[in-house]
Amino acid sequence: MNRIRPLDHLILILGTLFMVMPVVVAIMTSTHTAVEIHTGGLQLLPGNDGYDTYHTVLTRQGGFTGQVTGARMVMNSLILGIGFAVGKIVLSMAAAYALVYFRFRFATLMFWVIFTTLLLPLEVRIMPSYHVMSQLGLLNSYTGLIVPLLASATGTFYFRQFFKSIPDELLEAARIDGAGPVKFFIDVILPLSKTMMAAIFIIMFVYGWNQYLWPMLMTTDERFFTLMRGIKQILQVWVGSQIPDYNEAFALAVLALLPPVLVVVVFQRWFIKGLTESDK
Amino acid sequence: MTDVTQTAPGLIRRWIARATARPEPAKRVQFDRPLLPWLFLAPQLAVIFVFFYWPSAQAISSSFYIEDPFGFGSTFVGFDNYTDALGSAEYRHIAGFTAIFTVLVTAFSLGLGLLLAVKADQVIRARSTYRTALISVYAIAPPVAGLIGMMLFDQHIGPFVKLAACFGWELKVGLNYFDTAFAMILVSVWKQVPYNFIFILSGLQGIPQSVREAALIDCKNGARRFFTAILPLLAPTAFFLLIINITYALFDTFAVIDVMVKDKAANNPITLVYKVYLDGFRGNDIGGSSAQSVILMLVVLVLTLVQFRWLERRVHYG
Amino acid sequence: MKKSLSVIAALALTTNAAFAAPVQITWWHGMGGANEQVINQVAEKFNAAQAACAITPVSKGTYEEALASGIAAFRSGEQPNILQVFDAGAATIISAKGATIPAEDLLAQNGHKLDRDAFIDGIRNFYADADGKFIGMPFNSSAPIMYINTDAFTKAGVTPPKTWEEFEAVAPKLKEAGYVPLAASQLTWMLFENFFSRNNIQMASNNNGYDSIEGTTLNATAPEMIAFWNKLKEWHTAGLFGFYGAGWADNQKPFEEGKVALWIGSSGSFGGLSKTATMPFSADFIPYVAAIGEGNKSSFIGGAALFAMSGKPEAENKCSADFFNFLTTTEIQTFYHQATGYVAITKAAYEASKAEGWYTSHPVAEVGIKQLLLPQGEWSKGYRLGFYPQIRAVEEREFNKIFSGETTVEDAFKAIETEGNELLAKFAKTAG
Repeated sequence: MNRIRPLDHLILILGTLFMVMPVVVAIMTSTHTAVEIHTGGLQLLPGNDGYDTYHTVLTRQGGFTGQVTGARMVMNSLILGIGFAVGKIVLSMAAAYALVYFRFRFATLMFWVIFTTLLLPLEVRIMPSYHVMSQLGLLNSYTGLIVPLLASATGTFYFRQFFKSIPDELLEAARIDGAGPVKFFIDVILPLSKTMMAAIFIIMFVYGWNQYLWPMLMTTDERFFTLMRGIKQILQVWVGSQIPDYNEAFALAVLALLPPVLVVVVFQRWFIKGLTESDK
Repeated sequence: MTDVTQTAPGLIRRWIARATARPEPAKRVQFDRPLLPWLFLAPQLAVIFVFFYWPSAQAISSSFYIEDPFGFGSTFVGFDNYTDALGSAEYRHIAGFTAIFTVLVTAFSLGLGLLLAVKADQVIRARSTYRTALISVYAIAPPVAGLIGMMLFDQHIGPFVKLAACFGWELKVGLNYFDTAFAMILVSVWKQVPYNFIFILSGLQGIPQSVREAALIDCKNGARRFFTAILPLLAPTAFFLLIINITYALFDTFAVIDVMVKDKAANNPITLVYKVYLDGFRGNDIGGSSAQSVILMLVVLVLTLVQFRWLERRVHYG
Repeated sequence: MKKSLSVIAALALTTNAAFAAPVQITWWHGMGGANEQVINQVAEKFNAAQAACAITPVSKGTYEEALASGIAAFRSGEQPNILQVFDAGAATIISAKGATIPAEDLLAQNGHKLDRDAFIDGIRNFYADADGKFIGMPFNSSAPIMYINTDAFTKAGVTPPKTWEEFEAVAPKLKEAGYVPLAASQLTWMLFENFFSRNNIQMASNNNGYDSIEGTTLNATAPEMIAFWNKLKEWHTAGLFGFYGAGWADNQKPFEEGKVALWIGSSGSFGGLSKTATMPFSADFIPYVAAIGEGNKSSFIGGAALFAMSGKPEAENKCSADFFNFLTTTEIQTFYHQATGYVAITKAAYEASKAEGWYTSHPVAEVGIKQLLLPQGEWSKGYRLGFYPQIRAVEEREFNKIFSGETTVEDAFKAIETEGNELLAKFAKTAG
């Protein structure tokens, strides 16, 4: 398997190029002025205004209170991304573990109770959700931002699939060793799940990081502004009366790429090792 | 735990044999504690009851009323909102497009994700570069991804439109039904491929080295080896992704659609969720949009039940 | 004394602010970009001008998102003091009696006088009730006007049209000169709704919907409307009218590129055009049909108004009233008009800008105001139609079909009327 495979690389390079081209275009476009972008469209070559644009978006104090700074928006987006990803992993691993590794009444019913949440996205039930949050007094809070997003079965479903594919022999062996459910979970399941956790962390982090509608509806305090709101805000101008500051939106989007990419780089090691390690 | 490696070739044969056999319970062996599973389930259940079932129940009850959005007046109309939606030719037309859109987006994004992941799994060199590059696509902010999509397909200056013109195709997104559908599908697939790539790759990386080596001995032909030995092992992930991709195409593409039709649906193709958004969020028709949500939910529920019944039998778990 | 002290102490505690804390009010709006900054400036000016009240503007996304946020908040008792609602959503909020305090009542209750005549005629009625009482406070308004590529007209050797008949006469010459003679953004606003207003044709029963929501029907199949759209379709076939879909920018772009001779856009569009247009341009009123004989009336406005939400304490309502009053001052109106490109909404602000020479440097900025100052016909005051965003969606769908040849003008307008009436009937049921 260690041979160099030119054909594989060719497919990968072509596929990656096709996928990544728009990202490259975004980076290039962010270095042009808004007028150039408006009249010329997307840019493939770097322009001359990159420094000014990035300087502006990084240092500007926006909003009415002046609290909407680049750093503040990044921090809020990070809280949302990490909070959501960690919450999701904890909740869904626990639930999936119960569903797969325990014999108990109503297990099938519980599976469907959880699974049904895949069927109606937050956007569709957003109005009643707001009402619930208000009754719980959670408007304008990080809890209110994060927790309702957790009410979806994606993670549980994913871990269920994975747990079910773990060989039964592991559990049998563990039981012979006298391991209880908690010990088995910590000693066997957790290490085995590293790759899966990395994958889901990346996906969920980006999902939380990119939230727009719910934070917009939920918060009225400029302290809670996220990067996504910043980007939307720039793009949303009265049609025709001004040109949106496309350059700033692109620049913010490019900056917004960095944390998720960093997460990927950090989890890179976890990806390579999966079951392989425990085979020994 | 050592026996896994020793019997690997045998395991493969058993797994393949089992893949075509009858389904079985979650696990042959399970813990038998009365309270502990509920303890593990409690946090998830609490969150979904408060933030899913409670709001959803409200949505269902509104679907039987026509109400003033501010809550001052309402008329009980029974199933009128449902019959209004289902009786409208427009609605059925949108439903038809939604079905085609969902099938195409799911097929292409799964197919491409699988292809790239399998290739990335096989190469050693530069693997992490491909992965990082692809994930950066997933991470690009949705409003800007939409903007890029819109600019690529701009009627007057879009590079994609110019490219199509070279082949004699006059691409008019926002004006021509088919062209708009094409652009929507392309952008939706583009956004979803990295998602599939990440999960399939992590699934592939999770396959024990020993199993791969055994498969290499058992089966010399690469393609056949993939389909008979590797793919069945991926089945749990693939099944998960199939369902997630369907819900993605149905529910999560409405931002892409909004951008591609420039927030004016006109007679361009739209999906059912976009219609819910138009009527409910933009048009403040709470009853009508709730009824549409419930219809949508029932359809997806039936679809998923069918998939679980017919497809999960063929998925075999370790 | 003791009592008032404890009240102040309580206030200071709850608002967590300095001593003699001003009453806090909030203002939710749907503006982004440069206009959001102008909103922040207006709020700062208000806070600087007096000490009793402090207003905080909060951006709530787009117009639709702002309205939806306002609705969700109102139902949970979390509403802001002031909510910005856009033109097509006016019926939704005005019909929900009890959701808002009519602007005129609010001002009167708090010792201010609202002088209706101080406002530009075309703006006075759109957010008012049938008797002309202001329910919403007009805030940002615009008018649809026609932009003129002056090069094209010089090259073709013709003068810009005032009426559609004149357009028909000059269009072939513009085409010969190598231009697409006409394009228009948002046909619903430009050539449907404002065809009614400019030509003084009734748009809907019940006094364009102002008198009652019960039994209101749309008059989409007015013979004049059908006749005009048949012309439009003819022009499209003959290459005299370019249609690029329902998206705003798709229809504006060819004008910016100098390929189109006339483009119907918003009175505010000159701000963007002055940066992006590749040729000199001027503007004039949107044409009317001379043959109808009623024409050249004022047009319907677009934009949004501010509504005072009910269910707030007296002290806060007083501040909302003070703020509304502050908004009508000539100084603020002049500032807002010039900073954003929206039309001046009071006559005084228009005069002040004129005196400053603003229109000498920005001649196009005056066109929309002049069009709104034209004599008002019986049917050019406005319309009050429920679920209008959905009705617009039906119009957009049918317009696209007309130009793609999927339907005839007659059938399209019949469909708009039928589906529109169904939506209006449904809306009547929301009142319970």
